[in-house]
Amino acid sequence: MALEISYDVIQVTLLSLYVSGCATILGSAIGIPLGALIGLKEFGGKGLLKTITYTMYGFPPVVAGLAIYYLFSRAGPLGSFGILFTPTAMILAETLLVIPLTTGITIASVAEVDRSVKETVRSLGTTPRQSVLTVMREAWVGLVMAAMIGFGRCIAEVGAAYMVGGNIKGETRVLTTVIMLETRQGHFDYALGLGLVLIVVAMAVFFFLRLLQEKELL
Amino acid sequence: MKQSQLMLIAVAVVALLLISSAAVFVLMKEEPEKLRMATTTSTQDSGLLDYILPTFESKYNCKVDVIAVGSGQALEMGKRGDVDVLMVHSPAAEQTFVAGGYGTNRTQIMYNWFVIVGPDNDPAGTRNATSSKDAFQRIHDNGTVGNAKFVSRSDGSGTYTKELGIWSSIGYNNTTVAAFSNDWYKQPGRGMGEVLDMCEDMNAYTLSDDATYYSRVDVALIPHLNITKQGDSALKNQYSVILVNSTMWPHINKTLAKDFLNWISSNAGQDVVKSYVKYGHQLFTPNAPGYVSTTAIGGLADTMLLENVAAGTSEAPEAMLMVKDTGTNAQRGRAMHGA
Repeated sequence: MALEISYDVIQVTLLSLYVSGCATILGSAIGIPLGALIGLKEFGGKGLLKTITYTMYGFPPVVAGLAIYYLFSRAGPLGSFGILFTPTAMILAETLLVIPLTTGITIASVAEVDRSVKETVRSLGTTPRQSVLTVMREAWVGLVMAAMIGFGRCIAEVGAAYMVGGNIKGETRVLTTVIMLETRQGHFDYALGLGLVLIVVAMAVFFFLRLLQEKELL
Repeated sequence: MKQSQLMLIAVAVVALLLISSAAVFVLMKEEPEKLRMATTTSTQDSGLLDYILPTFESKYNCKVDVIAVGSGQALEMGKRGDVDVLMVHSPAAEQTFVAGGYGTNRTQIMYNWFVIVGPDNDPAGTRNATSSKDAFQRIHDNGTVGNAKFVSRSDGSGTYTKELGIWSSIGYNNTTVAAFSNDWYKQPGRGMGEVLDMCEDMNAYTLSDDATYYSRVDVALIPHLNITKQGDSALKNQYSVILVNSTMWPHINKTLAKDFLNWISSNAGQDVVKSYVKYGHQLFTPNAPGYVSTTAIGGLADTMLLENVAAGTSEAPEAMLMVKDTGTNAQRGRAMHGA
């Protein structure tokens, strides 16, 4: 398998990391507080909201891509921003996909912690804000897991990335879309090589995060 | 490993990520003016764009952002104002597009050929067909009695439009074609290369652009598929450039789009198209209105080759001889790898 690590491969890999990283951070920044809110607060319709969130795990990427395309197409409602076929559009589409995951996993993690810690925290007579923070600290591993799963979905995403990014060389071409392009051209060896790069990059990120977790740095 | 070391690694990785994203941004920012072009996968996958665009880009100090999709999707992007210029090959759809006021200055720039591709044993006898229409009729007649299969793109591409055109010319309209039995007429909705792979697997026929066929032969993926019918005028694949309506979409880079149209239809641009040779074939023939070749690369070389073939001399590169070759695909593949 002749895969030369060229400038292009490095650039494509970096863009993959950049887009997935940003989408994960954005998706976590929105999903984790949202999940904590749903998980910790008691309100009417909570069950329904949880069900909707869990159902959204199966939100098809290609639909997220199409939605963002329609929104940001020049003929669409947000067309004047002119962000279609840019990494920003890809980040937004993937953020849409990450939010249900981070929200749902956060709901589950805080609910789990809540049960065991709630009593202790309350018996110590802490304020509501303190108790929320304590629960979040206890749920930390779950929250990191939420972000990691979100990142995993983003880095492997192809449908939405292709549709709103356009696979433009040097601009919106990421590992998954370039693998699709090379496969389409019949360059299976090269595509497979790029696939290895994708696997190594994704696994390296997870390995590193796991390492930090084990050393209790994260 | 100590915690401090881990911390150091963490900092290093984060720094690397930040620097790399910054680099990605800088690379994007330093680019000059941009032209956004929607085109078909065939122009990208054949390598033509990578070959011709640098000349345009350096001459006009700009960068062309290529979005390669099916012709149908490319036209839709033009309709919605998402690109500046189109390079497509779907004449009927293009006419509708221009008539609808979505684009202007539709100009033909080049053509290549569609070919009918089929398995070694040619069960439908398309090699003896008098025309592409006749070949399609034979495939249909053999297909319905279980002797042949056909894989259709079925994806709104220019190639699919062409296929439907041929069916309709022998009396099968779009509805009838869509209702052809799955037993012999497969409608996967995939790209050209993938459809060729399917044909190889299923011993089926298909209509392909020649560039994608040659490229697939070049990587030895379709050893049992041969061109069984080619060269009649119904198989000509005309590409045109269309400017997206800049009155409808004021943000469009109309100056650069016009520059591109002028350049590619100029003698200089046409000569660049003509000089592109891959897999041992000149893949695209420039035919912009008023084009007069100023180089000998395409035309003269072709003439010389044909003379050599006729004289039986061995001067011409082996792969070039295959243009008129009737040998097996495996031989062609070897010849091209040797070239």
